Amino acid sequence: MKIRSLILGAAAGGCAAGMLVPATGSAAVSEEAFNALSDMVSKQGQALEELKKTHEQDQLVIQQLQQQVGQTSQLATNAEQKAEAAAQSQTVYQAPNPAQTTTHNFQVIGDAEVQFGKSTGQNPTFVLADFAPIFLFRANDNILFEAGFDITLNNNANADGTRAPGSSTTVSLSFAQLDYCLNDYLTLCAGDILLPLGTYSERAAGWLNKIGDDPLVRDWLPGSGIGARLQGALPVGQSGQMVTYAVYVANGPSSGNPTNGFANAGDLDLGGNVGDTPNWHANPSGGGRLAWFIPWKVHYDLELGVSGQTGEWSDNRTHLWSACVLDAALHLGPYFEAKGEYINTWFGTDDLGNLDPHGLWVQTSYKLAGLKRDWPVINNLELVARYDNSDDAQGTYTDRYTVGYVYYFSNTLLFEGDYEFLKSHGPNALPPQMWMLQLSYGF
Amino acid sequence: MTAPLLAGVLALAALPAAQADDKAATPATPKKKISGVELYAIHCNRCHPERYPVEFDQRQWQTYMLHMRVRANLPAEQAREILKYLQEEAGY
Repeated sequence: MKIRSLILGAAAGGCAAGMLVPATGSAAVSEEAFNALSDMVSKQGQALEELKKTHEQDQLVIQQLQQQVGQTSQLATNAEQKAEAAAQSQTVYQAPNPAQTTTHNFQVIGDAEVQFGKSTGQNPTFVLADFAPIFLFRANDNILFEAGFDITLNNNANADGTRAPGSSTTVSLSFAQLDYCLNDYLTLCAGDILLPLGTYSERAAGWLNKIGDDPLVRDWLPGSGIGARLQGALPVGQSGQMVTYAVYVANGPSSGNPTNGFANAGDLDLGGNVGDTPNWHANPSGGGRLAWFIPWKVHYDLELGVSGQTGEWSDNRTHLWSACVLDAALHLGPYFEAKGEYINTWFGTDDLGNLDPHGLWVQTSYKLAGLKRDWPVINNLELVARYDNSDDAQGTYTDRYTVGYVYYFSNTLLFEGDYEFLKSHGPNALPPQMWMLQLSYGF
Repeated sequence: MTAPLLAGVLALAALPAAQADDKAATPATPKKKISGVELYAIHCNRCHPERYPVEFDQRQWQTYMLHMRVRANLPAEQAREILKYLQEEAGY
């Protein structure tokens, strides 16, 4: 714009000078004035030449800039095409979303315990170091594989029970099952399944138990078995009430007698029939559980359940092993809980006829936070009491009274202490007293 | 013994279809539905100290709740409501 203004200005100046010439021509023009005017016109001509050169140079610069703009535009177009091509390739080969990778569906939960204790006639000692992880792998919204292990450290012992030097680590599979939710009302569980005989194996073992050891009578039941289970729950109304059900088949108990065909009382092997070679007996056991859960408001509920199992246990198929369990759990507010099981089992034997080991356990607990006092340490305490008994039907009977506490460092770190009084008689009588301290961590 | 058991299992497997027919035949009546946080308070504290929603992320809760649905034999709908609450409160 400036160049064009200068050119127009010079031209206008020239025209003005031209107009002046005739006017002056008509008058007498001195040589001095003519020379001055001629000099001025000459200078204007030079200025015009310079302006033309400058304009040509500017035009050249403009052309170069236009070329560069064209090249830049081409590069942008190419980049856009490349981006589109990349987006199309991502549609075909989608990059994994970190939130959906398989490792994110893999989870480890479980618990660990360390126990220090003493029973009558023994020195106080660390009696347990247990690590019990549960591996969960969720394939999708309806399929889960879960496996639980118990890893413990034990003193070595000879076959006759006498001490041997050293220690060994025991890794045992507690359960390993594939869960497939067929629909809202049926779930198939297959593998080494936890048996729904009562609720203890599934919902109270390990760190979930508020006392450091298991009820004696649970020794008369297998915790898991190789088999398959169908289970589900029917909601009743809109209050959270429900009926739950489970039916299953499992290999069931077997005879541990090395001579096939014998089934003496001492040969009963509740967890030994895992189905590998040799298959101890062909017919599996069947069982199930039916329960009713009734909450009348939050933290106030009652659950009643009945479960059982029956099937052959002897290799010669002449003897049955059967069990019946009645279980109940009551919550009266967030601080009080009572629960228990009555267990009766029956099995036929070659040497002692029919036997019926049985017993029960009842456990209550109260969280002192329910007193609603401003006691920071006391508020983390829960008092626990349990009564359990066991009759092995072979002459040993035990009554056990346990009192204890749980101190909650957090919702996952628990410090427990228990004292047990036992009245036990018979060939397998237990020591009269025992105490234990246990640190538990659930994760 | 086997026949009634099999019939019961088949009846349960057919429940969703029957329920769908019922929904089509009768208009839904509004009922007060128990919330996820209430179900969480009812069920989770029965067997173990409550786990806080922020202890796991949303994907982990999905795996955890599938495990708990099977372990505690929870109704599927209630398990979904609890999961929804936990995921909303998980925060990440």
